[in-house]
Amino acid sequence: PHIDAGPVASPPDGGWGWVVVFGAFISIGFAYAFPKGIAIFYKEIQDFFDTSYSEIAWVSSIMLATTYGAGPISSILVNRYGSRPVVILGGLLCGIGMVSAAFCTSILQLYICVGFITGLGLALNLQPSVIIIGRYFLKRRPIANGLAMAGSPVMLCTLAPLNQFLFDNYGWRGSFLILGAILLHCCVAGALFRPISAGKASVKTQSIEEGKEVLKDVSKDAIEMDSPTNIPKETKTEEEEEKGCCEKVNKYLDFSLFKHRGFLIYLIGNVLMFLGFFAPIVFLAPYAKHIGIDEYSAAFLLSILAIVDMIARPITGIIANSKWVRPRIQYFFSFSIAFNGACHLLCPLASGYTGLVIYSVFFGLAFGMVCAMLFETLMDLVGGTRFTSAVGLVTIAECCTILLGPPIGGMLIDTFGDYKYMFIKCGAVMVLAGTFLFIMNYYNYHMVAKEEKKRTAKEEDPKPVRTENKGRNNWNKEHVQDGPELEPLREEQERLKKEANGT
Amino acid sequence: LNLLEPITTTETVSRRTWGSISDHLRLEHDVSTPGPELTTSDFSEVINLNKSQPLYVEYEAILSGETGNSIEKNIALGSAVKIELSCRLADKYSSMKILRVTWKKGNETIKHINKTENSWSIQLTISENRKLGSYTCTVEGEKEFSVVFLPQIEGREKPVISYEGDSAILICKSHSYTPIAWTWYMTNGSEQIAINDSLMLDKYVIDKADPNVTHLKILKLTKEDDGAYWCEAAFELGRSKGKLKLSILTLMVPLKPFLAIVAEVVILITIIFVFELYSKKKEKRA
Repeated sequence: PHIDAGPVASPPDGGWGWVVVFGAFISIGFAYAFPKGIAIFYKEIQDFFDTSYSEIAWVSSIMLATTYGAGPISSILVNRYGSRPVVILGGLLCGIGMVSAAFCTSILQLYICVGFITGLGLALNLQPSVIIIGRYFLKRRPIANGLAMAGSPVMLCTLAPLNQFLFDNYGWRGSFLILGAILLHCCVAGALFRPISAGKASVKTQSIEEGKEVLKDVSKDAIEMDSPTNIPKETKTEEEEEKGCCEKVNKYLDFSLFKHRGFLIYLIGNVLMFLGFFAPIVFLAPYAKHIGIDEYSAAFLLSILAIVDMIARPITGIIANSKWVRPRIQYFFSFSIAFNGACHLLCPLASGYTGLVIYSVFFGLAFGMVCAMLFETLMDLVGGTRFTSAVGLVTIAECCTILLGPPIGGMLIDTFGDYKYMFIKCGAVMVLAGTFLFIMNYYNYHMVAKEEKKRTAKEEDPKPVRTENKGRNNWNKEHVQDGPELEPLREEQERLKKEANGT
Repeated sequence: LNLLEPITTTETVSRRTWGSISDHLRLEHDVSTPGPELTTSDFSEVINLNKSQPLYVEYEAILSGETGNSIEKNIALGSAVKIELSCRLADKYSSMKILRVTWKKGNETIKHINKTENSWSIQLTISENRKLGSYTCTVEGEKEFSVVFLPQIEGREKPVISYEGDSAILICKSHSYTPIAWTWYMTNGSEQIAINDSLMLDKYVIDKADPNVTHLKILKLTKEDDGAYWCEAAFELGRSKGKLKLSILTLMVPLKPFLAIVAEVVILITIIFVFELYSKKKEKRA
């Protein structure tokens, strides 16, 4: 049910939304694939500046750290200005970063230009792209997320040969220059991110909307604390000033999320998971070479992984959208993390090239499943409106473990001289994370269902609204358990009905 | 340059066999033109350069007649070595009556041939340049067997690309063997001129940190620096060269695609915004 009257952000679930998915595909693709793609230039740059490999590897680390660490900045900007301007700014920053990198004369300058500036630009690309999917989709959101996240492996497969071609023809400096221009396509993707309140394009309306939504979120928060007397807050007019500095800060970055049970569960589970998430990819090729496989076949393993990943993400999105899985999507997510961990635990048993190919296939599958649902589950837990802040807070927390994962793995390999301990560590961490998420989400679903019952019992609505509610409740009953993500939709419609009724 | 690129083993005596391969091996001191690629996956080399006890190495060729009349093999040696070369007939010929097998160095016949059931071998001690050469095993005038070469110097197949005013680094590595000395040459027309870094300190810097690797850093590049460079490594038993190509580009070269892509991006963004304004106007009217 779509209500066109008034500036309401009701997800269209289609139409222009698919164009937005395409834009997000490109944006997310660059954000994830670019740091890995420029590794091709490292050997040459290392020789040019006469540095060691680890000094060069810092470029990627700084880039990754900035992309994840600048998440909250992204969230604040999106909360204030919406997705489109932020992504365009991000694209410009990336372009400027790479173009200036082409003229660098020291490794330190490379750290700043490639690592910091481009990383910041990519951060301003990643978060808003994910956020705008949440604005445009609700019923088909898992599919949209799966498709958009598929951008990462596709871009990686495209960037790798492209970078090699550029390098062979223009050297590393020329390549950086041209890559700067290519990154400007993020601006094109950003141009596609039409703000959702179509017809009322003024930014002022948008911020008023968002102010209203924040009020609603603050009140929703209070509801979760089981204080029903706060429900009347929903009917406050939008011009009323938000009182207190806490609420003002929350308008930019919703710190009240830390009281949100689902958010905390997600945060702890994911932070744990990322400790073992990326290390196997980093070490797959070296491990293959270690057991005697030649360089090209080892590189081919990564290609297999990327191809399976590419296919797995949209398919996972479709599965996650089906009516059996959607209400229990958190379980599906926990299962895929544990599956991923199981793959790593079994990897040391793989002998020879065939075994590793099988491992790559399963790893690609598991990796794709987890990535496709990474942001979908967060949206499911906190709702589309608070997702903006949630994603920023989550990424900055994940930043630490993402950066720690591969070095810890490397340390294990160096200490024991054997790769299997690294695989065991990654597998164990992920199985642990998956199990934790599974149990905690069971508890969370249980609590949410309890609160839901309490709230519908305590609601005192005039009859027409109640029948409307019942109608919508019937639709909601298709999903066994209501995630809080469906709350904003219902509440907005309630409020609009109240306004329409002149209350 | 194509050399057998051995993998290290821990035995001091290693036996290597290879099937019928038709790569051309030439024994020369100065291999200046690269030959065809050799597949070297089934070779091992022991790198045990102990002068008092020269390395002992065996090479065996199996003649199966599959690739025609001659098999040639390149063997890379970096220093003094005892080598045994043997020629063996494939099993399918074992019942054939062999009339005559001869081993020759160049055109000279070698007298002491060890014969076992189906194989004929000679033993050589290669301790100096003279001993390097082409050794032939002829079975009924059919099979040839050549030995020797020089350690591989790795240059680069693709050109190093750099820009005017920038600096470039050319790197040559020697696998397996450590050269005694490195020399760099620049091609001027058809001549090769040695690069003396003490003469032109602000232009060329040769780095000798690692004996197996040599770096030539060329500063303040100009168009004239474009061309082929050679790095030559001197070994006990000879010299070996590697070729590198340096390409100097101006900034205009990558600038053109850059501007083309930027123009494309601007056009796309304009189209998107114009389309959006247009569809909004349509909606307002509707």
